[in-house]
Amino acid sequence: MGDDTNPLMMLIWILPIILFVFYGQQIQLLVTSGEIKKGIKKLNNFRLNSKTELIDYVNNNLNPANDPTKKIEQFLDYFTIMPVDMDPSGIVEKVRHTVRSREDYTRNHIKSMSPGINDVELNRVQTLLEISSSLQMIHKIVNHMFLTAKKQKNYPLILPVQMILPFLMEHAEAMNSSISAFKTGQPLGDGIGPMVVGKMMLDAKKEIISFQTALAKVEYEKRKLFLLKAEGPSSTVGRPDDALQKIVNDNKIDAVIMIDAALKMEGEDSASVARGFGAAIGGIGTEKFQIEHIATQNEIPIFSIIVKQTVKEAITLMSKDIADQADNVRSQVYEMILENTAEGQSIVVIGVGNTAGVPQ
Amino acid sequence: MIFSKEKTILAYTVEKCTKCEKLNKRDFVMGDVLFTNSSKCSFCSEVTIIEKIFGQVLE
Repeated sequence: MGDDTNPLMMLIWILPIILFVFYGQQIQLLVTSGEIKKGIKKLNNFRLNSKTELIDYVNNNLNPANDPTKKIEQFLDYFTIMPVDMDPSGIVEKVRHTVRSREDYTRNHIKSMSPGINDVELNRVQTLLEISSSLQMIHKIVNHMFLTAKKQKNYPLILPVQMILPFLMEHAEAMNSSISAFKTGQPLGDGIGPMVVGKMMLDAKKEIISFQTALAKVEYEKRKLFLLKAEGPSSTVGRPDDALQKIVNDNKIDAVIMIDAALKMEGEDSASVARGFGAAIGGIGTEKFQIEHIATQNEIPIFSIIVKQTVKEAITLMSKDIADQADNVRSQVYEMILENTAEGQSIVVIGVGNTAGVPQ
Repeated sequence: MIFSKEKTILAYTVEKCTKCEKLNKRDFVMGDVLFTNSSKCSFCSEVTIIEKIFGQVLE
């Protein structure tokens, strides 16, 4: 009973309340900072690792005339300014132009380091450069947001970083793990589409229809199939939108079937296969837009088959479960053709994704 | 390291005989590319083609 009025006990109760009222945010900032610092340290390690791997790869495989370190470091800091979208009309064309200009610049940049480089090595180094550049950018942005919050001593500013960090870490870890697969030319989880279509076009005559994109024409059950995939085994996704435009210009197409890897939802099984409707293609959106535009203009239905996987599975060495689905997906493609088209019709089958390690 | 969550993934190549269709799983070696000719089949000596390349977690 006496304790209720004891001034010492009152002070013990009141002091923490005062402390939390006036310094609560700073305390939370300190606790959260610890977690974010760990993440930033990890991101920095990924960034440095990818840069070292890239420089080692260039030195060991491209025999550059001069030390490439400075050129690579310069490239990693290159940025891309996306077109203004206040007036969205024509924005897709502008984004496509900007992205392709950057890709062309990167290729020329690599060629200048090693003029005799072949296409497979060129695409490999280009991919490694993009990975390294992306990891550098992620580290830079997270670090900036963290330091700004700390500088301003502003707890709410650090909340978005705390919320987004686990997702960014997942992507960064996946990119960091993908380096070895790209360096050794192994197929990725994302390569399931090209793997399926690549096998379908194995014995057929192939031609390059658009930039880094291969086409084969085959007959199946009195139907004409136009098989499209990126030109393997280089690390590239090709330009299926340009290829489809060329095919549609010269032929009457009755259906398009797209096979791609797709991100699985939490709780879904990895490597599970699903069928659907609409253009199954990722990326920045310009290719999807173009394919949808062609399909709409020509009234072509688009069917799709997706193989579900995590981010990490999609950009690292293909897992056994995904590889085991290739025959199943192929038979589903043939089934889809028979179900949705009639004899005498023409169908475009597109294997979407990175075709590293997957020829045709 | 015993508490590390990192898993070791090993790369494998599966060869399929074009004649007897027997499958052979071996370690991936640099230069292996899908659908290309590989070693001779141990059963019928026919040339095998690379059917799959995948990674498996080391148990």
